[in-house]
Amino acid sequence: MEEVKKVRTVCRSCHGGCGVIAHVRQGRVVKIEGDPESPISRGTLCSKGLAITQLAYHPDRILHPMKKGKTGWERITWDEALDTIAGKFKEVMENFGPQSLFIGQGTGRDYESHFSRFGNMLGTPNVLTAGHMCYLSRIGASLITCGRFPVCDYEGGPKCIILWGVNPLWTNPDEYKGVDFWRAYRGGAKLVVIDPRENFYTKKADIWLQLRPGTDAALAMGFFNVIIQEGLYDKEFVSNYIHGWEAFVDRVMDYPLEKVQDITWVSADLIRDAARMYALTKPAAIHWGVPTEQTINCTDFTRIAIGLMAATGNLDAPGGNVFRVPPPVRSVSEFSAHEMLPHEQRKLRLGGEQYKLAARMTIITPKVAWDAILQEKPYPLKAGILVGTNPVVTEANSKGIYAALKKLDFLAVADLFLTPTAELAHVFLPAGTWLEQDHVSENWKFHGFVLARQKVVEIGECWQDHKIFLELGKRLGQPWWNTVEDALDYILEPAGLTWKEFKEKGFLRGEMSYYKYRNRGFSTPTGKVEIYSTILEGWGRDPLPKYTEIPESPISTPQLAQEYPYILNAGLRIPVFFHSANRQIQWLREIRPDPIVEIHPDTASQHGIEEGDWVWISSPRGRVRQRAKLNPGIHPRVVVAEHGWWYPEIKDQVHGWDISNINVLTDDSYDSMDPVMGATNLRVLLCNISRCEGQRGDLP
Amino acid sequence: MNGIALSFTEEDCCGCHACEVACKQEHLLLNGWGFVRVLERSPSFIPVYCRHCEDAPCMESCPVGAISRMEKGIVVVAEEKCIGCRECVTSCSFGAMRFREDKNVAAKCDLCVGRLRQGQAPACALVCPTGCISWRESPPVSDPD
Repeated sequence: MEEVKKVRTVCRSCHGGCGVIAHVRQGRVVKIEGDPESPISRGTLCSKGLAITQLAYHPDRILHPMKKGKTGWERITWDEALDTIAGKFKEVMENFGPQSLFIGQGTGRDYESHFSRFGNMLGTPNVLTAGHMCYLSRIGASLITCGRFPVCDYEGGPKCIILWGVNPLWTNPDEYKGVDFWRAYRGGAKLVVIDPRENFYTKKADIWLQLRPGTDAALAMGFFNVIIQEGLYDKEFVSNYIHGWEAFVDRVMDYPLEKVQDITWVSADLIRDAARMYALTKPAAIHWGVPTEQTINCTDFTRIAIGLMAATGNLDAPGGNVFRVPPPVRSVSEFSAHEMLPHEQRKLRLGGEQYKLAARMTIITPKVAWDAILQEKPYPLKAGILVGTNPVVTEANSKGIYAALKKLDFLAVADLFLTPTAELAHVFLPAGTWLEQDHVSENWKFHGFVLARQKVVEIGECWQDHKIFLELGKRLGQPWWNTVEDALDYILEPAGLTWKEFKEKGFLRGEMSYYKYRNRGFSTPTGKVEIYSTILEGWGRDPLPKYTEIPESPISTPQLAQEYPYILNAGLRIPVFFHSANRQIQWLREIRPDPIVEIHPDTASQHGIEEGDWVWISSPRGRVRQRAKLNPGIHPRVVVAEHGWWYPEIKDQVHGWDISNINVLTDDSYDSMDPVMGATNLRVLLCNISRCEGQRGDLP
Repeated sequence: MNGIALSFTEEDCCGCHACEVACKQEHLLLNGWGFVRVLERSPSFIPVYCRHCEDAPCMESCPVGAISRMEKGIVVVAEEKCIGCRECVTSCSFGAMRFREDKNVAAKCDLCVGRLRQGQAPACALVCPTGCISWRESPPVSDPD
């Protein structure tokens, strides 16, 4: 048998960080194993990472650049592809100005540093990411509230854990993997679970709060009400380190438990028990998930949650929610060179005046981009590049996005496959998977590590995304390094390491210290935790957090609720997929062949729906089909549907982008969005259901 | 015989399916179920896997003696002897015997015996985030019927 070479590297099948050992035989990766020596994952690996070989060598993967010709896609060279994009971009810059270009990436990608740098040097402030409603939004809210992003300190041994809308063993691996949660739980920590669905964790929990979807901010105010009324807060911390406590206490009094019970559907007694458990058990940590960010309450929920951590003395305390210390390398922000974006261009950021927190995080909410394309207001967006993103499936209001992207003068897409979004492009660039990438990885997270992801193989003509930005940037006259490796040396320079040396080392970790605020205060205008935000006040916004009723709900729109009587929880994650990715991978798709909508058995029977039936799910914006799974562990008035579905196996009809895609139903109207971050509501809306006649719902 | 056997602590199975994909990769099962799999019965998860039973019905049902017991009690199928009659598939009350259509043979968990000999954990157990899969010596398991 030929010799097998083993290469130690770092997975990126989701937000990454897990250590892997890639087995290579004759230049081909034949197997992936978890790396037992990884400080992050300790040998565990999820289904997505394990299936990378079926992704990387998939027959549908595009391995060379292409352009859209008269009869369809045509193979071209990298030179032609990059020259075409650079030429189109220069044309737009000359005729309309660089602000009429946009750049876009999807979920947090590990080339964000290069992506942002490219955009800044291009001169466009119009940067599309998922950050308006995912992760960056919680970082933004954290920065204005306590100066840095607090993460759950599993390593420090919390004695009480609140899992708030999160499934750490399946998803949300930004700062920590499920193994860390599991270790802390097994170590005897008490567990409070806040989730509309009964699940693995609710069965382990000491207390399960089954809330009405979208009411997290009200529930958090309920926690505070108990903590304040019963004097369970850390009086010393509050008086020394919280700004605006008295005003906030007044605000909290607007949320008596009876009212919170009415809003959230959680009994006052359970809320009281959970709040006491969190406040009285030391240390206690809150691990919160993305559903809290994908509603109008995005910024306010994060601010209240940080308030809870602070008021209970758990902020930057061992086993609480802490500020990790990064290793001494150049940060993503520094590499991004935001200072290169001219001041006058910054002022042109779409929605920048309205969504000031998004602007501060150097992004826009996508709605303003789609409007600028379709209505050319306040100025037209003409062309752009989308990298590792499939907004036709993953952003709110798919039909609007589809129409907008179709209207563009020019669109370039870099991806692995021809996704529904890529099919709308004029030029396709073949990106590399994480097996084809050299990078000082996971530098953007607040976990205190950087990890060496090293290139294991090269496949076809694919380029790692970093190289795409570097080479395209050079063609546009931007100053970049000669090679990807030179740029990595620049990132590593403060650590006194070169890429070659770092690759051998494997990872770097920042030296952790706790209670940093005791010496330096918090990095906010007042130096304190600003539960009363002077920044929001300066922006003319409510300086205190509150709960806002979801704009489309039985309470806000009772008439609409007669036609659409169920609350749709629109973003159920599936452990084998990552957003809209992986539907073409055999090993994974056979585990989950069809999109699933969960319905309470009583509700299903009222509609004549049985397990496995195809079901129409409809909202005021359209209808899509998913397959029924009866779940007695959800509220009868709640329907839970999976997100991210398209059908790679359907070769025409833009891969069935509108058949089961739940974002055909979601809304991106301005009044449904978070007022400062522009978070769109991908989670909570009204729907109705009916049985779909015919085999497999007559899927093509 | 007091051998080793695969065992899942069912209440600690979080339904992530990592074990299934690890198994498929380890055994080069390019399509179809792995030798372990996890069924979803909301809100629970039910692992389906071979117990390497002490009185293994699959072994007894095989008309050609293609199923045998090797070191430490591990029950294995000799592919080259299998005639594809599927008697073993029906005899297993755990649903753990697979049939490989591509090769027309029965196939099952071998506890990653090659890995065990090198001191490594079975592929499924290594990746499990909750450690709910064990394979060490345990009381022998009998067929529930």
